[in-house]
Amino acid sequence: KRFYSLKVAPKVSASATAAKVKLSPESQGLEITKLPNGLVIASLENFSPASRIGVFIKTGSRYETTTNLGTTHLLRLASNLTTKGASSFRITRGIEAVGGSLSVHATRETMAYSVECLRDYVDTVMEYLLNVTTASEFRPWEVADLQPQLKVDKAIAFQNPQVGVLENLHAAAYKNALANPLYCPDYRVGKITSEQLHHFVQNNFTSSRMALVGIGINHSTLKQVAEQFLNIRSGAGAPGAKAVYRGGEIRKQTGDRLVHAAVVAEGAVVGSKEADAFSVLQYVLGAGPLVKRGSHVTSKLAQGVAKATSQPFDVSAFNVNYSDSGLFGIYTISQAPDAGEVIKAALNQVKAVAQGVVTDADVTTAKNQLKANYLMSVETSKGLLNEIGCESLVSGTHTSPSAAAQKIDSVATADVVNAAKKFISGKKSMAAAGDLGNTPFLDEL
Amino acid sequence: AGGGRLIDRIRKWYYNAAGFNKLGLMRDDTLHEDDDVKEALKRLPEHLYNARVFRIKRALDLSLKHQVLPKDQWVKYEEDHPYLEPYLKEVIRERREREAWNRK
Repeated sequence: KRFYSLKVAPKVSASATAAKVKLSPESQGLEITKLPNGLVIASLENFSPASRIGVFIKTGSRYETTTNLGTTHLLRLASNLTTKGASSFRITRGIEAVGGSLSVHATRETMAYSVECLRDYVDTVMEYLLNVTTASEFRPWEVADLQPQLKVDKAIAFQNPQVGVLENLHAAAYKNALANPLYCPDYRVGKITSEQLHHFVQNNFTSSRMALVGIGINHSTLKQVAEQFLNIRSGAGAPGAKAVYRGGEIRKQTGDRLVHAAVVAEGAVVGSKEADAFSVLQYVLGAGPLVKRGSHVTSKLAQGVAKATSQPFDVSAFNVNYSDSGLFGIYTISQAPDAGEVIKAALNQVKAVAQGVVTDADVTTAKNQLKANYLMSVETSKGLLNEIGCESLVSGTHTSPSAAAQKIDSVATADVVNAAKKFISGKKSMAAAGDLGNTPFLDEL
Repeated sequence: AGGGRLIDRIRKWYYNAAGFNKLGLMRDDTLHEDDDVKEALKRLPEHLYNARVFRIKRALDLSLKHQVLPKDQWVKYEEDHPYLEPYLKEVIRERREREAWNRK
């Protein structure tokens, strides 16, 4: 049965040394194999009528340098450009004809190309997916026609003030790598060339940094596909720079009545025990509303800030983990005149937790919220695919939900207090946007 | 081999008889600009496009003066490169693909 019509298909015999990864019995149905060239293949056969397949690549905006900023943004938009096996028109019409969809999702460290379709048409969409990830041609005229789309994409994203604040936060907190913006800087729009895209793909889309994940597809099919078609570029590619935390602040005066501000310190690395503690701390402090239009009873931050101001506000703990660093802190949205009080009240709450004003009951509530949030996020096939993919990239294995819940339970109250202490004592970074007349600077906090 | 060389000689004779090489033009400069050719021209790399515009300008100038280039500057049959052909072929292939899809 001829599955795929890629013109570039080096014939590789099935390697006898492909290692099957041992998983705990709770990860039923999930099979992971690691090929000798470093590619990780994971699949979960759940017999659902729709399949979802993703190619996860350990690359992102952190691997850009100052000479090629914005390349990953354009790559995100370029997923439907002509490839060696199919023209742009054919990819679009072909995927539409079988009722599938192709999407790209990129963070600072991971890019995920995923397709979903009905099970019967998996072969067709898989062909397009492999074409797009390995054999894209980036024809100069197509790339040039795509550049105005960068502006549109950026404008849509920046309608949300949070996006701007988080970009500035990373630019303030780090010297390099993680400081690179997710969205193309304005001066680079129109200047990204096809050669830069090719160069980036050659250096970063290599087998040892990729994972092929499928849900609703059997393992041997995926393995055969991976061995035949994802062997194009081997090696580790260009290594990224190690992120260096510096702790700065960036303020953007826009005159908006609502001030968005984020104050963070360096947090935990993904997968470490500290990361679990910071996650629990995040939920102890309050990580978003659980009841719509409710009064945030369990959120320490919200309760603390409510005593400081009667104006509308929103506050939550901010936590993000990367492969060699992390950020933890608070994110506040407040009225411009109150901004100072809100931020100070929120920081005082964290200080209180660092001094031990946190009960075991608070920690248990937080753990339950964290577990519920995590488990609900892997309920959908999209969330599950992302979770399996990201974990395969980082560690090449999979933590079953019950093991993840156990890890969360093993966090002690003392760990939470230590995490809060680390935030209080760490060098802070800050980003703020809005009418900043009453927003304090970092040295005033 | 003999038959091949005969065809080549006829081709060369026809090329010289057509006469556009005396104005310094290459074959692809003289293509009628229909939609496919226009799209292919949009895809030409800059240096090829500039060379084409120069040759056409020079030919227009000569034609206006009712002159031709000196014999040593005529384009030789061997040097005439079909520079537009790969782009044109690709444009036509894409158009045919679109039409085939729309017909189904």
